[in-house]
Amino acid sequence: MVPPPTIAHQLAARQREISVAEFFERNRQILGFDNPQRSLLTTVKEATDNGIDACEEAGILPEILVEIAKEGEDRIRVSVTDNGPGILRKEIPNVFARLLYGSRFHSNRQARGQQGIGISAAVLYANLTTARPAKITSKVEEEEAAHVLELFLDTQKNQPRIASEDVVLWDRPHGTKIELVLKARYIRGRQSPYEYLRGTAIVNPHARIVLVEPDGTRVTFERATDEKPPIAKETLPHPYGLELGELGYLLKATKRPTLTEFLTKDLQGVSARAAKEVVAAAAIKASLPPASVHGDDQERLLTALRTIPLVAPSSEGLSPIGAMLIKRGLRNVLGEARPDFFAPPVSRPPKVRGGFPFMVEVGLVYGGALPADQSIQILRFANRVPLLFQQGACAITNAVSNLDWRRYGLDQKGGSGLPSGPALLLVHVASNKIPFTSEAKEAIAEDPEIDREITLALQVAARHLRTHLSRRTRRDLASEKFAIILKILPKLAEKTSHLVGKEIPDLTPVITRIMDVVNIETPVTSTPDGVWVPVEVTNYTPRARVLELFVELSPDLMGKASFEPAPDGTEPALGRAWWTLPKLVPSGKTRLELRFPAKTDVEANDFDWYVAGIDESHLLGADTLPGDWDVRLPRTIVEAAEAAEAEAHATGAGDEEVDYDAAESSASAAEDD
Amino acid sequence: MPRSRARAPPKTTDEDAPRVRADALKPTLALAQSIYEQLDHGEIPRMRLPLRTKQNLTFLEREGVWKLGRQMGTRSARKLDGALMLLRTFYLVDFINEMARDRKTSTLRELYYISEAWEEAKFHSEDESNLLIEDLEVLCERLREDFRLHPEENGASVIGDLTIREKNRKGVVKTINCRDDVGDGGYALPFNVEKEKIQFVSTKAKFVIAIECGGMVDRLAENGFDEQYNAILVHLKGQPARSTRRFLRRVTEELKLPIVVFTDGDPWSFRIYASVAYGAIKTAHLSSYLATPAAEFLGVTASDIENYDLPSDKLSEQDIRALQAELTDPRFATAEWRAEIELMLKNGKKAEQQSLAKYGLNYVTEHYLPEKLTEMGVL
Repeated sequence: MVPPPTIAHQLAARQREISVAEFFERNRQILGFDNPQRSLLTTVKEATDNGIDACEEAGILPEILVEIAKEGEDRIRVSVTDNGPGILRKEIPNVFARLLYGSRFHSNRQARGQQGIGISAAVLYANLTTARPAKITSKVEEEEAAHVLELFLDTQKNQPRIASEDVVLWDRPHGTKIELVLKARYIRGRQSPYEYLRGTAIVNPHARIVLVEPDGTRVTFERATDEKPPIAKETLPHPYGLELGELGYLLKATKRPTLTEFLTKDLQGVSARAAKEVVAAAAIKASLPPASVHGDDQERLLTALRTIPLVAPSSEGLSPIGAMLIKRGLRNVLGEARPDFFAPPVSRPPKVRGGFPFMVEVGLVYGGALPADQSIQILRFANRVPLLFQQGACAITNAVSNLDWRRYGLDQKGGSGLPSGPALLLVHVASNKIPFTSEAKEAIAEDPEIDREITLALQVAARHLRTHLSRRTRRDLASEKFAIILKILPKLAEKTSHLVGKEIPDLTPVITRIMDVVNIETPVTSTPDGVWVPVEVTNYTPRARVLELFVELSPDLMGKASFEPAPDGTEPALGRAWWTLPKLVPSGKTRLELRFPAKTDVEANDFDWYVAGIDESHLLGADTLPGDWDVRLPRTIVEAAEAAEAEAHATGAGDEEVDYDAAESSASAAEDD
Repeated sequence: MPRSRARAPPKTTDEDAPRVRADALKPTLALAQSIYEQLDHGEIPRMRLPLRTKQNLTFLEREGVWKLGRQMGTRSARKLDGALMLLRTFYLVDFINEMARDRKTSTLRELYYISEAWEEAKFHSEDESNLLIEDLEVLCERLREDFRLHPEENGASVIGDLTIREKNRKGVVKTINCRDDVGDGGYALPFNVEKEKIQFVSTKAKFVIAIECGGMVDRLAENGFDEQYNAILVHLKGQPARSTRRFLRRVTEELKLPIVVFTDGDPWSFRIYASVAYGAIKTAHLSSYLATPAAEFLGVTASDIENYDLPSDKLSEQDIRALQAELTDPRFATAEWRAEIELMLKNGKKAEQQSLAKYGLNYVTEHYLPEKLTEMGVL
């Protein structure tokens, strides 16, 4: 039934274009300007991200200076300066004072910002709350001077309005500076500019970031590496991620003469053969001009594209942080907490969901001054941007909570929820299209494929943690034993011998019985002449040992190494070398040495040491040889290993006595004189 | 009453026995010999000791006290703690032998400081050194005084009509009546209360009342309770020292007096009573010598708190844990004690003995004690 025209007219009369100011007011929360504290963070975040992005595109090592000063009651002046390539004069007004204007919206690669709302929203917020213009200074290398513009965002037209303009000399070759005065509040701690910049520094170890706080405190996150992350390449859209409307748009916009050419050259993953199958399946002529494919044909085309097997979407558009930089970044920023352990960072191979590639990276740090009695810290990142809000709603947090961390050595009530302990996790999800829970991009939405990848990466990192903790337990036990044999036993022998008036007996048999391990020391020593690893193997067990020692390092590092004596076998491609050690009598020791050229970047963690011929419980400083090493062992070693196994079983049934000094006596402690 | 020869050296109670016996050194050297031999044979040195835990208490029917049972633990150099305690043992043995040579004695606290020179073997707390001395007592079947080690003067006080003879530091024998010859503080017990030091001459008292808090001792003295009821008041000063417990044992045994224990009404006071009457866990090896099985618990009981409507405090978490621990303590495994502990847990209340002052200063001496003592058949 047709409604009476009067009502339609009334409705029409009420419809009008809403102004950007209204749009802003209504969407303050999703834009990140819902309170003074958050507004400051969002402003710093947008300006910093833009700066780093600009540097990255231009292949420049970023230097970001963030200055925050108080300007009266609940007013703050923020200025963010970068050393990026600068912005051309004609682009400045639109970049900073027009919503939804940007160069990246239509590109198909990973980047920090995408919608072109961020920085202009900050300018608008400043305009609205203090009626002060944004001041932009920018210089490109080709020009002598910098342009300085004061801008307002016209809230009726969504257009920039230039309040003043000048040209000044600027003592830098290129770069951009934005200054804003806004209603804001400065805090430090959680969800603060400090935390944001720290997170940014961790995942961008190639950037140098300086923060000047309102009280004048200057915090510098030094650059940890000169290595720039690879620039994510722009990639063609893959059919698996295409919506019907987008396909229509592409068909219309393309300049390719035929449908086949469009399919093979404008889309990703469609080979000539696949294109043939697609058009056949869609029952469209391959030679048709793309623009003439309409309606139902488009729909059949899309269905065909989704059913015919295609080459998977390329991950070239992704910009992972990389294992090396995760390690450097964490080390650089967390150095003062002196963690005992940096797990080797995990980079999962790229996967695809809904036509878009994504990948997950995880870093884990343990020990040192990290608080032991709290939930672990999780640093969440999406496309190298720290996520500070909505932790509880994030797929990353959920994946962490759903893993049973007790198996890996962390406390966790009931085996789910955030584990506690002196640990910190870094989780980075990179993708051309990250499913955020909302436009505010504060949390990653649940997705079975992303969840699976995060979980797999967490498990790898957690296994490293478990290995570290079990090695540490063994090391603690050993250091206790060393204290006994080196400090206590000699004195006990001296005292008792003196009391009974006899000579001190030979302690070797007792020492080997107490220790009952073969100890492998592998310190790394740097000298101006070179880096060397003097290896010492000592048999602190009461029987003679025949052992095979193995080392594993990166093939690259192995190429630089020289060995003394020469190994009995090597596998350079796998970075492996091994020696048959001379027979070691009780208390006997043997040495060998690895040498590297001066200044080689080597640390103890770069080596894995393994031993064959003895069981795990009698081994210290190395692990037993993993089963997957396809090495033919000498017969003597095999026999020694079998004997060791038998011995391990035999000692299992040892005397079970109550340890007097560990027996429960606390009940009596409060009672008695 | 016959006494076990195993752990409580009967000689110590003999008339005129020398306090420090030369043969105390012999067993210490035997320990050194044993460790030396183990080292010489390439064995990891160790010692076996009876466990001093509540699980290892056994009741000695004949004496009516709780003593160490047969469960043994091993102190071995295989573990760091064990190795350290072994080393400490021989620093201590060395020190004892040195003192014997120089004819010196040392307080427990002095020993703690002496250990400063023992490097890694030094004690970290006085508890640690006291525990080791007790270990040595057990291993050598001697008393710490035999090793020339003694506590500081404790000074727990006695008030009442008891005449004793004490040989003071100068060797002069003094005869003292603990009511008429002393000041308001009463007669202060020395750490050594053995016969060669103190002898009981006479008393008109009918019973002994051991009291947890000094304030209550003062109250009873001020109210003339000791004279009116012919009682000897002994201040326990919280957990009583060995000398206090030994004194209670001797005075009640030798003078054939009944004894009651009057404490706060809380889980810790139950333990005070247990260590007086049954023997303490830590010194269970000396129970035949320190415990007074005849001692009866007067109160404050859990039911007193209700019956006398005493001002009370809520049991703390710690109190509740203490009560629960007592339920698994063999010394409290009687129907009476179980009922008492369970009642306290159920009511969730504890009270101090001085809370009786709610009804005035004379209430405790005029009502509470006479009533309780009559009920117990002491009066």
